[in-house]
Amino acid sequence: MRKIRSNSIEQTTPLLRWVSEGQIEEIHFATLEVLERTGVKVDHPEALQLLKDAGCIVNENRVRIPSWLVEECLRLAPRKIVVANRKGQRVMPLEKNRTYFGTGSDLPYTIDLETGKRRRSGKRDVELACRVMDYLPNYDFVMSYAIAADTSPKVSDLHQLEAMVTNTTKPMIVTAHDEINMRAQLEMAALVAGGKEELRKNPFMILYSEPISPLVHTNDGVGKMFACFEYGVPVVYTPGVLSGATTPVTKAGTIVLMNAEALAGVVMAQLKQKGAPIIIGGGATPMDMKTTATLYGSPETMMNYAIMTQLSQFYGIPNFTEAGCVNSPIPDAQAGMEAGNGILMAQLMGANLVHDVGYLEGGKTGSLTFLTMCNDYMDNARYMGRGTRIDEETMAVDVIDEVGPGGNYVSHEHTFKHFREEIWSSKQFNSSFWEIWEEQGSKSMEDKAEELTKHIVATHTSELLDGAIREGLNEIIAETEKVKSNK
Amino acid sequence: MSDFTSLAELVINGNYNGAKDLTQKMIDNGNDPLEIINQGLMAGMNVVGVRFKAGDMYVPEVMMSAKAMSTGIELLKPLIADKDMPTAGKVVIGTVKGDLHDIGKKLVVMMMESAGFEIIDLGVDIDPAAFVKAVKEHSPQAIGLSALLTTTMLSMKDTIEALKEEGLRDSVKVVIGGAPISQSFADEIGADGYAADAASATELCRRIIA
Repeated sequence: MRKIRSNSIEQTTPLLRWVSEGQIEEIHFATLEVLERTGVKVDHPEALQLLKDAGCIVNENRVRIPSWLVEECLRLAPRKIVVANRKGQRVMPLEKNRTYFGTGSDLPYTIDLETGKRRRSGKRDVELACRVMDYLPNYDFVMSYAIAADTSPKVSDLHQLEAMVTNTTKPMIVTAHDEINMRAQLEMAALVAGGKEELRKNPFMILYSEPISPLVHTNDGVGKMFACFEYGVPVVYTPGVLSGATTPVTKAGTIVLMNAEALAGVVMAQLKQKGAPIIIGGGATPMDMKTTATLYGSPETMMNYAIMTQLSQFYGIPNFTEAGCVNSPIPDAQAGMEAGNGILMAQLMGANLVHDVGYLEGGKTGSLTFLTMCNDYMDNARYMGRGTRIDEETMAVDVIDEVGPGGNYVSHEHTFKHFREEIWSSKQFNSSFWEIWEEQGSKSMEDKAEELTKHIVATHTSELLDGAIREGLNEIIAETEKVKSNK
Repeated sequence: MSDFTSLAELVINGNYNGAKDLTQKMIDNGNDPLEIINQGLMAGMNVVGVRFKAGDMYVPEVMMSAKAMSTGIELLKPLIADKDMPTAGKVVIGTVKGDLHDIGKKLVVMMMESAGFEIIDLGVDIDPAAFVKAVKEHSPQAIGLSALLTTTMLSMKDTIEALKEEGLRDSVKVVIGGAPISQSFADEIGADGYAADAASATELCRRIIA
């Protein structure tokens, strides 16, 4: 029997906490105060009625939500939401401290992989991005990445879903123009899943819907969310803000305001349907006070996400944050720093859904090459997140004794046995000596990633979707376009 | 230091209480109201514009300077005939139909007001007919259309078409902006200009109105 030490506490993975439990409670109480005193604006008639019936003070569309109701709804919201892949396998359980990475949605511009030139995005960019992410192991879910701007604008979101679902089996987060298109997408998802019942049992799709800061809940935003709950499809209901413009400039003020918007969403969700699968969080980005640009890769965003992740863990509700979205317009050293910091922070904090990975220019320009580079940043962060193993085997006292002073470890079996898990290695990162690097073509990490991306695009396709289902998807798109044109 | 220089300095520093008091004092001392504006308040604001462009001043500081300028102007307005009031131009602005996003447009409004433009802000979710009505009512030199969503940016084209139908297109310049907008989109829908941010929107309007 192994003789163990008494009073021993093992820490398998690093423990990162940004603020204390007491400070999290302080933010919680400030949030309750905002909801009860200032309240929110709700433009969705059904939600307004539900809030009124539940005991909120409602004046026209201004709703003041009492603390007790917020706390009751927080208890009803599920602590665990399981998301499946396209095949119905439950691959992405959103539970405290489980971190998943994916890209974002709706980029207006793309740096073309072939020409290297920035141009407007199209449906093919959605397809290619999904195939690339289908291949790269550190992408756990996908979003549309690009806007299918070359399809009919009335149903471009449906085209995006069609492109996503035919080019990857990974779980996906979608956006929708409005409730009509949301319902069409739910029909598409049900078709892919093999019926509404199957979709409800193992949803492979999540909706991303937004309130508008400060404190406005729109008819479309809430309507799309409610439609998803009818199908048992989880919903990310989170704002994207500009600190100093749509929220207070202070980080704590930004978090309180965003939390108030998120918790108002939780209340509406739980009043609509007990146990409705809602995910909180958001994009807590400051405004650049020189240029008014949204600062995605900034230190403030990462600091905000750390606290917002702690908040979601305090509430026991899965969260949605962002990392790997940089302000640099090209995949350069600045981009690497911005992406690397954010991804590592998200991993160490245990954020759940980390989106927008692989975005340039503050979320306006995409680059498949940068998407591929980020795969290795995530690999690196996940490696660090696994922590340092400390036990007899890894402290290696026996091996040290065996090798003795002046010996070497490189040929020792202990090294052979452990080096792969004890030393991180990447094919994309350069680490060779100068002369060898020159011999191999003097390639930067970006050059190598571009090559790999081209290779993936040329060779990898995801598991094919049944022909009849694909036809059905196109029929729904055509039908919806017809409905929209007649409106 | 002359009162004019001091007043300009108060505007630059965003000291709106100070600017208000000094403007009142200068009125009481019998200074010419137009001179107070041009050599005091606007002179200060011009320095702010230069410093902002150079990256030495930040948006919130520009906002505070604009507030200082307008507290002074409020006192002077009743003393000046409307036609003599100095203005960089009149612009009607709004976020287009289906889009509820306010902040980008609001930044443009504030930056342009601080540069001496008279702005009629219609708000958000403004349909083409409402823009047409506002053009008829206010006769602006330009209208500014804002959109954040790729779905709503198409309403910009509808608005331009509506202006054409009413025979108003030639009497007013159309400028557009917002995250998904580009110069090529502006060209495509026949807008007169596109600005990537609030500061360049101000310059764009100066250029096309002049």
